[in-house]
Amino acid sequence: MLKLTDVTVRFGAFEALTKVNIEVKEGELVVLLGANGAGKSTIFNAISGLYKPAAGEIEFIGKRVNGYSPDRMVKEGTSQCPEGKKLFPDMTVQQNLMMGGFVHRRHKDQLKTSLEEVYELFPILREKKEHAAGSLSGGQQQMVAIGRALMARPKLIMMDEPSIGLAPLIVEQMFSIIRKINESGTTVLLAEQNANAALKIADRGYVIENGSVVLQGSSKELFHNDAIRQAYIGA
Amino acid sequence: MELFLQQVFNGLTLGSVYTLVAIGLTLVFGILHIPNFAHGALYLIGGYVTLVVMQSTGVHYFIAILASILVVAALGVLMERLVFNPLRNSPPIHDKIAAIGLVLFFEALVQLIWGTEYQRMITPFDNNISIAGVSMTSQRILVIVVAVVTVFLLTLFLKKTMIGASIMAMAQNREGAFLVGINANAVAMMTFAISGALAALAASLASPINLVFPAMGHLVILKAFVVVIIGGMGSIPGAIVAGLLLGMTESMGATYISNDYKDMIAFLLLIVIMTVRPKGLFAKGVY
Repeated sequence: MLKLTDVTVRFGAFEALTKVNIEVKEGELVVLLGANGAGKSTIFNAISGLYKPAAGEIEFIGKRVNGYSPDRMVKEGTSQCPEGKKLFPDMTVQQNLMMGGFVHRRHKDQLKTSLEEVYELFPILREKKEHAAGSLSGGQQQMVAIGRALMARPKLIMMDEPSIGLAPLIVEQMFSIIRKINESGTTVLLAEQNANAALKIADRGYVIENGSVVLQGSSKELFHNDAIRQAYIGA
Repeated sequence: MELFLQQVFNGLTLGSVYTLVAIGLTLVFGILHIPNFAHGALYLIGGYVTLVVMQSTGVHYFIAILASILVVAALGVLMERLVFNPLRNSPPIHDKIAAIGLVLFFEALVQLIWGTEYQRMITPFDNNISIAGVSMTSQRILVIVVAVVTVFLLTLFLKKTMIGASIMAMAQNREGAFLVGINANAVAMMTFAISGALAALAASLASPINLVFPAMGHLVILKAFVVVIIGGMGSIPGAIVAGLLLGMTESMGATYISNDYKDMIAFLLLIVIMTVRPKGLFAKGVY
């Protein structure tokens, strides 16, 4: 479904990604593991069209999508729940969610159904729907961000560290929801530092370091890899 | 008492014009981060188009205003496409220089086409009416009513429609807006169109009171910047409150202090408010 071939991204003289090769098949849940600044978010933003690759190919559902604008990528069927959430703080929760469905704005019925689905996934958001998004707790804001990304009805959803800054109990809930989203048919690409939790729900994983893929394999292989256990799991 | 009421109405009229001009300015600043010094040129063209359409075709004042709104909105979009969009990634001083260039260009153009004379705009609303014992032209009432209705409709558009909300989204989180599929160019063009439309409307409403001439944009735009800064850069409620505040202060100051100091009052007000609230009255968000 998604294929990155030798993707390189530069910011001036700084090379943020070097020849990254990643493949995600339809229906999979794939995780990118890596520390802060490894390049996970840059990969997402290159796919989302925020950054243009200096070299390499990005292919989505059999189409070359290099240099597509962000709005075009949403129309193609990708959606990102970004690092730092990037909500619209002065809008209400419901307005934020509705903005997530911006590309489907002419299909009011579909938007209503999507909104219902998001509220079923995150019942707390229904209670808070008239609150300003900026006034919510970190965990609730993360739910809004995921809900907003789902409102676009993506074929591929990218979630950038959805567990960051959340209480352990909520982290567990969050991962079970991500799994639920995947099981309902949406392909998921996840970026995480919490390797332990992420590998439990993922099919496959890539380890990113300094803008390159240094290791890849099934979740099982990665989970039992010594280097990973030392670096990310701490056991 | 009658003098006071008279000044309240004058202040409201003046404030309505400032508000309309300032909302356009603050929208462009809040969403595209461009302090558009060329906004005065949009105001200027707006006044002239209304005048010329009325003079040459004899259509009703309202039809001429509508034509002016369309022309200047299109001009705003052109400005964005041809001047500000290509400069989006250049150092921030460039769009300011370009804006000043636009002002000079349009003023010279207006002088070339329509001459330098002061011209009166005659409307069907120059009859005198009397409200609460105060006598004034019905044009002044028209200014206030149209401004209130326009601001109401604009707020409705920004809050209740998906397209309007996409403008707000862009102001609140640029990257977030990109990621939900909002097209940056569409929003930029729409913002400039609204901004131009409001400038044309304001100029068309104020011209029957203030005359039409090539430098008509200068003072208005300076005041509008004062309003935007006082209200909080990028805030629509700020522009409304500060616009009315400035109109009222000027009108009262001209009467009770001295008419000579009228234009200084805006800047005194600016200094006082900036000292107390450096970020303006409404420091947060666009609405």
